Amino acid sequence: MSITLDQVTKHYGGAPVVNDVSLSIGDGEFFVLLGPSGSGKSTLLRAIAGLAGIDHGRIELHGRDVTHVAARKRGVGLVFQNYALFRHMTVAENIEFALRVRRMRARARRERRQELLRLVALEGMDERLPAQLSGGQQQRVAVARALAHKPEVLLLDEPFGALDAKIREELRRTIRQVQRELGITTVLVTHDQEEAFAMADRIGIMNLGRLLEVNAPHELYARPATRFVATFLGAANLILARRTPDGIQVGATTVAPEERASGERENEVVAVVRPEDVELAADRESLGCGFLANAVADEIVFTGALERLRLRLEAGAQASLLSSSDGETHSALQVTRTQHERRALEVRPGQAVAVGVRRVHLLPTPLSSFTACAMDEADTERLSQQGLLLMLAQRMKTRVGMRVEPQLGQPEAPCQGGDTFVGTTVIAAGAQAAARAEWLLRRGAHDLLVMPADAAPPQRVLIHWIGEAARGATLAIAASLLRHVPAEAVYVGIVAGDAQAPSPQGMRELLDARSEAKAAHGLEMRTELHFGAAEAGLARRLADNPGQMLILGLCDLAGFPSRLGALLDGRWPVLIVHRGTP
Amino acid sequence: MSFRAPSVLPGFGLTFGFTTFFLSTIVLLPLAALVLSATSMHWADFVHTVFSARALGSYRLSFGASLLAASVNVVFGFVIAWTLTRYEFPGRKLIDALIDMPFALPTAVSGIALTTVFAQNGWIGRYLEPLGIKVAYTWLGVTLALTLISMPFAVRAVQPALLEVQRDLEDAAETLGAGRFYVFRRIILPTVLPALLTGFTLAFARAVGEYGSVIFISGNLPMKTEITPLLIVIHLEQFDYQGAAALGLVMLVISFVMLLTINLLQAWGRRRYVRTGH
Repeated sequence: MSITLDQVTKHYGGAPVVNDVSLSIGDGEFFVLLGPSGSGKSTLLRAIAGLAGIDHGRIELHGRDVTHVAARKRGVGLVFQNYALFRHMTVAENIEFALRVRRMRARARRERRQELLRLVALEGMDERLPAQLSGGQQQRVAVARALAHKPEVLLLDEPFGALDAKIREELRRTIRQVQRELGITTVLVTHDQEEAFAMADRIGIMNLGRLLEVNAPHELYARPATRFVATFLGAANLILARRTPDGIQVGATTVAPEERASGERENEVVAVVRPEDVELAADRESLGCGFLANAVADEIVFTGALERLRLRLEAGAQASLLSSSDGETHSALQVTRTQHERRALEVRPGQAVAVGVRRVHLLPTPLSSFTACAMDEADTERLSQQGLLLMLAQRMKTRVGMRVEPQLGQPEAPCQGGDTFVGTTVIAAGAQAAARAEWLLRRGAHDLLVMPADAAPPQRVLIHWIGEAARGATLAIAASLLRHVPAEAVYVGIVAGDAQAPSPQGMRELLDARSEAKAAHGLEMRTELHFGAAEAGLARRLADNPGQMLILGLCDLAGFPSRLGALLDGRWPVLIVHRGTP
Repeated sequence: MSFRAPSVLPGFGLTFGFTTFFLSTIVLLPLAALVLSATSMHWADFVHTVFSARALGSYRLSFGASLLAASVNVVFGFVIAWTLTRYEFPGRKLIDALIDMPFALPTAVSGIALTTVFAQNGWIGRYLEPLGIKVAYTWLGVTLALTLISMPFAVRAVQPALLEVQRDLEDAAETLGAGRFYVFRRIILPTVLPALLTGFTLAFARAVGEYGSVIFISGNLPMKTEITPLLIVIHLEQFDYQGAAALGLVMLVISFVMLLTINLLQAWGRRRYVRTGH
């Protein structure tokens, strides 16, 4: 491996900018770090270069631990967005800078320089000053300069940001060519997905300091694992669907999923439908694929090769469509069609069409939607407007539904809203919370978020489960939540007994939990060990610092209110993951 | 001769007229009067006044101390400007404001304050005395006073240039293998060199013309701690206007030659630095 990152973390003023990133990049690989601005990708690149120190973790270059090695001794080449050429030096002096530092002989320097200028197609420009070159030429000089000392790794920080489209294209090709010719391991940072697709062998997508997914470009596009990646890479329609024994029920149709997930039970899932996988026809019968719903064309934009449409689905199906872009009041189904498809069926605004889906991809996410639940309309409404809940829903591109249960918490009383619970149910924290939580869990709710009225986004999420049966689900939900929250994940292991005689069983569980989180969910977490009773230990740990949240897995509801009352009294948010018998 | 097309301010004729008028009335006319006054002397008198041992001593002190003060200020002005631009610390704004104090203070006040501190029984002077270092009433005191009053010029000239040195340049040099000293010598210094020269020029020019603060701390011993401006005043007090003018003319010529040299050096440096256009 050329570059190995292990749990690299960097904090800036308390909040993590790079959060537990582990990654291996192979020899000669062209790796692209893609993410929106502020996602921590540039900081990570600077950490690899040695220009930014890290608070935690390890960085290896070609098997050598360079975590504490100065930038000048790491042997990397770095290219900056603004070129960063030395303006008082000629092109020749710029390129020879690294060689001069290494006291190379003038003749050898000249030869190396000419070789590099040929490589970036700038022969004969030796005596020019940077001010006399165009932006594209300056960036070529910067690339040549970064390669002069034959670094083992080439790092490019948004190198095309300041260039116009045509030059950008040309320079992209040059860099890819140079990279292939030299076989040098390269990491490029960008926020431009087209650039990432065009250049990468593999893409790593970052958001809120976390490395969410790493895969080959076409794999990431076809089979994203997270909502963020699905909507960040190209356009995507997110549709709430139901997993049933027969397949995935999306709208009016049931499709067999591409990959048979290990479906434990019938539940709500999020389906991704790419705009180009939607088929339109005049009526249901003439569709060549599974029927989704009837729809009305809202907006049609002609963009040359493709036609972009936005459709409003009929009432029932419209409700399951999630808004895929921020700040959109009503969601629309996005469709792109080729000229060929357009000729087969012309669609005008206002026209009714039948919508079919050719391909559905399911997100392996256990957190699909939220439902606020309280005893009357007003309380439910207030709870659904809670700041942290809205932030989570917006980041996860999902919705907050409402459910009124007038007899919430009264023993023996039945549910008013039927006994199916979808997604995560949210109740208000407080003195009544434990009784209400038990009431809901016993009536079929699986995931329950107990939310204090004034809860702020957590900086640290503590994870614990009581009973091994809840382990898998708890880890999956924690991983899903943490992809959308810039917080630190900490697994709290609690071992019965005391510190003098820790049971080997507890230690093993701790290590198992960590490796399972990493392997199955790509979740990096720190681990802590406490001794004594679980509930008391968790309460103590949560009271230590403000800004913490608990994800608690449970199998057994016996003695629920008395055991957990103190945890649900409103000092912090708690997400209860219940698996096992109700 | 061709002139650039006008920019924001209209009327090249008008602005050029103003420029020449201002320069003439404020700078050139008084200087011409000085020259005229000096040239009306007899040659022998002129030589006698200008090359007297006392005058020569005062030149040496005036220009020597000024050069020394300007050099000290370039070095420490750079350090101060560096601290102010590169670091964020409590009280930074306050220190930044303090830099300008010598601008605003009447120079006589600075002189008196320095004398109080550095006299043999002053706060600092009393500890230097046993070490055999005398500051007040020696050339050291003169240099100190000149350093104080010319310090802001050096700092303020370098500060904007340092702000413009991109951190990326240093980062780039570092990834290419350069150590700190190398980065400083090959990247930072060349970039701020023009500004450093400007700072030097301004500080030097200010120091040569200084009078108020020096006379308090120098003790004014002829041949030892007497600066040329003071000698001129002494001539004036004896109603020897021509003698004063002659000394003034010498200062003028030396200053002009020195400033011209520095400016030419700077222009040469700048040409090397940004050779624009094809």
